[in-house]
Amino acid sequence: MTAAHVPPSSAEPLEFRGATKRYPGAAEPAVDALTLEVPAGEICVLVGPSGCGKTTAMRMVNRMIDMTDGDILLGGRSVREREPSALRREIGYVIQQVGLFPHRTIAQNIGTVPELLGWDRRRRDERVAELLALTGLDEDLASRYPAQLSGGQRQRVGVARALATDPPVMLMDEPFGAIDPINRERLQNEFLRLQERLRRTIVFVTHDIDEAIKMGDRIAVLQRGGRLQQYATPAELLMQPANDFVRDFVGADRALKRLALLRVRDVDLWTEADIDFRLEVDGDGRPVAWIWPDGRRSTSVTVVERDDVLRDALSDLLQSQTQYGAVVDPRGRLQGILSVELIHDFLVPEAAAASGDA
Amino acid sequence: MIAQGDNGFFRERTDTCVTDNGLCPGWVVDHLDRYTTPLLQHVFLTVTSVAAGFLIAGSLAILAHRRRWLVGPITNVTGILYTLPSVAVFFLLLPITGRGNLTAIIALTAYTLLILFRNILAGLDAVPADARDAGRGMGLTDRQLLWRVELPLALPAIMAGLRIATTTTVGLAALAFFAGAGGLGEPLEAQKAFKTNVVFAGGLCVALAIVLDAMILLVQRSITPWTRAA
Repeated sequence: MTAAHVPPSSAEPLEFRGATKRYPGAAEPAVDALTLEVPAGEICVLVGPSGCGKTTAMRMVNRMIDMTDGDILLGGRSVREREPSALRREIGYVIQQVGLFPHRTIAQNIGTVPELLGWDRRRRDERVAELLALTGLDEDLASRYPAQLSGGQRQRVGVARALATDPPVMLMDEPFGAIDPINRERLQNEFLRLQERLRRTIVFVTHDIDEAIKMGDRIAVLQRGGRLQQYATPAELLMQPANDFVRDFVGADRALKRLALLRVRDVDLWTEADIDFRLEVDGDGRPVAWIWPDGRRSTSVTVVERDDVLRDALSDLLQSQTQYGAVVDPRGRLQGILSVELIHDFLVPEAAAASGDA
Repeated sequence: MIAQGDNGFFRERTDTCVTDNGLCPGWVVDHLDRYTTPLLQHVFLTVTSVAAGFLIAGSLAILAHRRRWLVGPITNVTGILYTLPSVAVFFLLLPITGRGNLTAIIALTAYTLLILFRNILAGLDAVPADARDAGRGMGLTDRQLLWRVELPLALPAIMAGLRIATTTTVGLAALAFFAGAGGLGEPLEAQKAFKTNVVFAGGLCVALAIVLDAMILLVQRSITPWTRAA
């Protein structure tokens, strides 16, 4: 690796301990005794309606806002003991408006914190080149100014700049909020792939529950007044909302949202023994036709892959004649059978148990 | 003087021009030296006053940028200085600072303050909030934020203020001879009935304003490359 390569710092856990922010004269606190732990290397999404204190909570981590009570521990160490500007240089910071410096080139923007830390020119340049590649930006952009880039490119530069010194913790405030839906989806996916490699501890703020479910390893749902309603994995949140507020917030379609988190392979598939008709396969084990009990043969077989998202699979099944689908591996060989009924039982285990008793 | 050869013919015509109080380029060519010192004095007065005003107004603007309550009082005081008639200020200062450059420079500097203060402050205020927030969030101290982010981004407004202040001061410095500081006002006043003199001295003032303005514009373009990058 080059001299500029930053040895990956190990991500550090982050812990809110009764962190509270009270503004003078305000009736209720902006953040009310927030207590939660973010394990090292995980994305914690703070989500809630506007005015719920999610951004305030995030900004207390790097002391852009100072707590009035409680504490936040970064790697076991209180942020209150740290000198704010030194603390902030160790924490990546990405905001919705990106906040690139219009008067500095892309390379200079990305090199901001390395420059503050006194890295020499060569080391900075090499790190900039690495980060441009990492975030999927053309190296020709290094000498451009922010105004010459598209919104998506600017947001990538924002992420590259936050990663410049490979900080153990990153704060991201609606980082993809100002991007059009198609590019937002792309940036989200790219960022998740990046995070798989980098494994930073990330606090991610959004008002969009779908984004929260997609990006979060854990989700903290906050209500107005900065009160934590539930802190759980996306699946738990969708399956067992803690109260009416969370249930409303995740939306009436939370079952569909859960389907988007699951894949066909997560379901215990049926075999031919479980159904009262047969599935004909060819010599390579690929499904060919349904054979009905009365001997009728139907070659319109809905095929889904094991790795398909369950929501897409359900959509395919609902459009098929039979509401049954043949599940195949990537080489097209039959692995089992999926049905609308099976998906329902999988989503609502109690209902399945009850019908089994009957 | 005795006329000789071709020059003699020319000079004779010039002299007729002068007695007729016309516009006489020949006379100007012969008497250029009487404008050299006033022009240099004029440049000196302008540059010194604008530089002093820039330092004072810049410090005040930076101060008021962080302590907003100062904006009102500073605007009021510099505003009053700006509205005082300049000749009156020269005479008011005479008993204290006497005749000479100091009196003229104090008065001229006072005139630049409001223009420069307002422009520098407007430039600092126009720095995008997100750039400021990102800068603080990345760990820039207040001082680093000011010198690395806020002042560079305020440069277009600051330079615009400098241009206005400079051209205004070139005009006002034409009155500096009242304070005994010379400048192009002096030769202009000395022969104010002679058209050629008035037009040439006045023209020098205008040319000086244009040249200084163009120089500042050139500097501005070279130090704000990002403004032409979009």
